[in-house]
Amino acid sequence: MTAIKTEGLTKKYGAVTALDHLDLEVPDNVVFGFLGPNGAGKTTTVRLLTGFSRPTSGSCWVAGEKVGEGNLGLQAKTGLLPDVPSFYPWMSGREFMRYVGELHGLRPQENDRRAEELLELVELRKAAGRRIGGYSRGMRQRLGVAQALVNHPKVLFMDEPTSALDPIGRREILALIQRLTESASIFMSTHILSDVERVCSVVGIVDKGKLLTVSTVEGLREKYARSVFEIEFIEDAAQFADSLKKVPWISESKLVPGNGDQKLRVRAAEVEKARKELPQLIASSGLTLCRYELVMPDLEEIFMEILSSGGGR
Amino acid sequence: MKGFGPLLKKEIMEQLRTYRVVVVGGVFLLFGLTTPLLLKYLPEFIKLAGEQMQITVPPPTAAQSLVEYSGTIGQIGVLVAVLVAMGCVANELQRGTAVITLSKPATRAAFVTAKLAAMSLTFLASLAVSSAVCLGYTVWLIGPADAQSFLALNLLVAVFLVFCLAVTVLFSSLFRSSLAAGGTSIGLLVAQAGLSVLPFIGDYMPGKLLGWGNALFVGTKSYWPAFAITVILSVLCVYAAQRALKNKEM
Repeated sequence: MTAIKTEGLTKKYGAVTALDHLDLEVPDNVVFGFLGPNGAGKTTTVRLLTGFSRPTSGSCWVAGEKVGEGNLGLQAKTGLLPDVPSFYPWMSGREFMRYVGELHGLRPQENDRRAEELLELVELRKAAGRRIGGYSRGMRQRLGVAQALVNHPKVLFMDEPTSALDPIGRREILALIQRLTESASIFMSTHILSDVERVCSVVGIVDKGKLLTVSTVEGLREKYARSVFEIEFIEDAAQFADSLKKVPWISESKLVPGNGDQKLRVRAAEVEKARKELPQLIASSGLTLCRYELVMPDLEEIFMEILSSGGGR
Repeated sequence: MKGFGPLLKKEIMEQLRTYRVVVVGGVFLLFGLTTPLLLKYLPEFIKLAGEQMQITVPPPTAAQSLVEYSGTIGQIGVLVAVLVAMGCVANELQRGTAVITLSKPATRAAFVTAKLAAMSLTFLASLAVSSAVCLGYTVWLIGPADAQSFLALNLLVAVFLVFCLAVTVLFSSLFRSSLAAGGTSIGLLVAQAGLSVLPFIGDYMPGKLLGWGNALFVGTKSYWPAFAITVILSVLCVYAAQRALKNKEM
């Protein structure tokens, strides 16, 4: 089943197109990483999908509900953690959780039980009686996660959930997200690649309002893996690196710091040709080969490559 | 109006926790206490001002005290209503708390109406207490008073104050800045007060309710059209506020 579906979803602010004909399907029970640089259209997409912004054209469905004005069924089935969750500072964490439970129509006993359960999950039970005004940024973020889960949402939207957190706070929130995948589909917008690598099973890359690609993280790695070679020599390979730059089927050749010595990193424009001919070039260089490897690029490299090619690969 | 109950509960809690009840009640009570006191001892104050002055002040009447108090509440109440209500929606939009609340199954209409209802309760309770104190103090210091007319006068003041709150809630929903909401509300309320003294058109202005209330003690004509218009405008303000919120991008 599909957790989220969009058809030609477009949002324009005057002459600026924030989101351009987004066609997307997110399956159930995955953590979908919506990845893009700042200003790519991630928050606009979250706003459109949660009904806080109206599309210029196109439609979207979340948890089987058409997103539109006054559809409270959508709110009953979804949870939202905004990029900077804001609370009433005069309320305590526990009071806020009960308030949210009441809005979801939970009976008093059930509401109390659910509030305590979620406060425990986000490790805020000890601070639950304190005013939210005195909470740290990380505590607010965790309370934000807890309030979004009160109604057992089928789809949970998280807009940049870790962007303002310190490393410990980030680790806690990511661990929490990993624990939630059994019960909900999570749509997580972010520009932090390592977060996506750690928790997302499917990733969509967006830039300048356009969806460039959708794939599993493994699928992306496989697709982009075979284009990068790492080579180590005993001798200095600077001259050889320069000579490779003139080869038409090589797009990049540079020396990068390795374990102790420098290593040569070669990106092939034509992978099959490189696999056949690069070993011959190495042999004819007269250098002593220590290591030759087709490397799995990290997500950052894939991301940069997709952005620079406009998703055209 | 789904979500009205929890929203109203939260708004009432907010009125109490952020001391709005204390502030509004305190301001109203101050005038409830000081108006009869000032009127009673005004001749003494004038005497103390100097022996050279020859000003004769007639003895104060109970009706004078009650009308004076209601007039002050009518004027100061407008200002307090605008100050209390100007950020009620705008601040929530600006801070992002509206997004958290409205991502739950609660309608915009319930969100706005709960705010107006809670603030109205604060003002009505404050008005009731301060008016009761003013009446008691007037009877004690000055003499017997027409309680029935005073009650009617207070009901008219209450309707007018709820109207002021509704206007401010509307502008608070239209603007993201509470200052813009407050400034526009004050401008509009002052404009209608100016119009309410004009012949013919003035008889249909919400501000006429205060003049009508003051005249109750001498039994002049009533202004029911102004009353009906005030109620209708208040309802329209709430409707327009929730429409504005529906149309707003958050």
